Amino acid sequence: MSLQVDQLSWGHPVPGGSWRQLFRNFNFQSPSGQFTVVIGSNGSGKSTFLNLLAGTLRCSSGSIRLNDQPLQQLSDHRRARRIGRVMQNPLEGTCPGLTIAENLRLAEGRRRSAISWRGLTGVHPSRADRRRYRELLQQLGLPLADRIDTLVGQLSGGQRQTISLVMATMGQPQMLLLDEHTAALDPKAEATVMALTDRLVRQLGTTTLMVTHSLDQALRFGDRLVMLHEGRLLGDWSAQQRQHLTPDDLRKMYGSANVTQNS
Amino acid sequence: MLSLWLGAYDQGLAYASLALGTYLTLRVLNFADLTVDGSFALGGGTAAVLITNGVPIPLAMLAAIVLGGLAGTVTALIHTRLGVNDLFAGILTTTGLYTITLRVMGRSNIPITDITPVVNWPTLGQGDDGRWGVALTCVMLGMVCLLALILATDFGLALRSIGNNPIMARANAVNQALGLTIGIAAANALVAMAGALVAMYQGFADVTMGIGSLILGLGMVIIGESVLRPRSVPVALFAVVIGAILFRLMIAIALQLGLEPVDLKLTTAVLLLAAMSLGHIKLPGVNATPQDVASEPAALPASEGEADGEPNRGERP
Repeated sequence: MSLQVDQLSWGHPVPGGSWRQLFRNFNFQSPSGQFTVVIGSNGSGKSTFLNLLAGTLRCSSGSIRLNDQPLQQLSDHRRARRIGRVMQNPLEGTCPGLTIAENLRLAEGRRRSAISWRGLTGVHPSRADRRRYRELLQQLGLPLADRIDTLVGQLSGGQRQTISLVMATMGQPQMLLLDEHTAALDPKAEATVMALTDRLVRQLGTTTLMVTHSLDQALRFGDRLVMLHEGRLLGDWSAQQRQHLTPDDLRKMYGSANVTQNS
Repeated sequence: MLSLWLGAYDQGLAYASLALGTYLTLRVLNFADLTVDGSFALGGGTAAVLITNGVPIPLAMLAAIVLGGLAGTVTALIHTRLGVNDLFAGILTTTGLYTITLRVMGRSNIPITDITPVVNWPTLGQGDDGRWGVALTCVMLGMVCLLALILATDFGLALRSIGNNPIMARANAVNQALGLTIGIAAANALVAMAGALVAMYQGFADVTMGIGSLILGLGMVIIGESVLRPRSVPVALFAVVIGAILFRLMIAIALQLGLEPVDLKLTTAVLLLAAMSLGHIKLPGVNATPQDVASEPAALPASEGEADGEPNRGERP
């Protein structure tokens, strides 16, 4: 099993001095290379789950193992070497003051330790690096290939998410976490980013968890669909089982208002 | 008259590594480091004590640089290990450094009367001012090249990512605590070097010579950026040095116009305020700098077609 979450618990204080225990002995497994789509209403724990996996939140008890390696024992940057992330906010997922080539170099170097003597050997991104990145973007059919030296801060939200997605898949991550990464995009940019997501995930064969509020995405993408509610798994469908679901079925399950259908 | 301009040029270059250190913390790491005020005096004091005790100038400089680096390391560790806010971490270190500098110096003011240069720099017919000018120009050019080279490596890219977007730096496995520590230590080493150079140039070190160094360094950075509008790191570093020289030239002009030395601090403050205000004034037809664009809140995501239809804005030359 690539991702193995056992007996995970996590809670947080709420106004008024009380405590909300969101996850209580939560278990989750995902075989290597599985693309899981996670849905659920606001506050169900979807993003919190991804943050617990990424290590930006620390669980109070339980274990998270990725390819049989316990993640909790690793420092933040060592854990990050194994995980590619795309954030919801296009501003957060890239370094706006660096060029596209510099952002890609940063992501590609995730497996190396940049803050070390090794990081001082050679000027990067070099001409060869830039040529390689241009070819990579061309292979992916992205028009950004010709704008490799443009500051990412000057790109549109959709273009930034595209770069963020390409960055997340660089450096051979063992797991990919996509947190509502199309939520801030218009329908056209969303379609572009989702097509690229599907292609990159299939190409890479990495265990992937994608959180979304879009029922259209939930029913179209991934090998597995899970629904979270109050830190518990409310539903778990394989791609085959999912074929029998309709958006209305899902909407009824979560009783609703927070669900949007982008179709 | 020429010696006045040459003197201002020399002083500007002596202060340039203070500006480079400030650039490193404020612009590259996005860390407001008040340690600068303490490490500037520590550098000056250390160099003065050692030179007056017969230690060769390069060794005295090296000692000042190492102590400055240690001061920066302390601030970084207070911030990264104890979770103390960047401003408070710097203030804590600076407060402690006042005592340490006094202990190192033994008294509050040390005159440096006899400087024996190791290298016999050419004077260009301008006496000591010319010699200082040649020496400092070589040192600062070397420093700018070295920093530009370091910031162009994977190491430098990681440091820049920490200041640019710490969330993304963490997501890309950059060891932020170590990066900040090395960056802040290097910045304070540069500042201590400036303290040592200024002490040697003016012929004395004083325990209070570091007061206002951070704002001085920031002013030099802003003046340089306003004039050159840099779009790449090497040009930005060069702009910082130019900013330091221009700032000292402005002070020299003010003194030439009859300003009394007692009014110098107020003049400095007014000049810096003017420089900072200039950064906010947008002239019609002048494009925003990359820093402006990067720090602006993002526009609503445009569709791919819309953005692709635009000319290649922001391409680095």
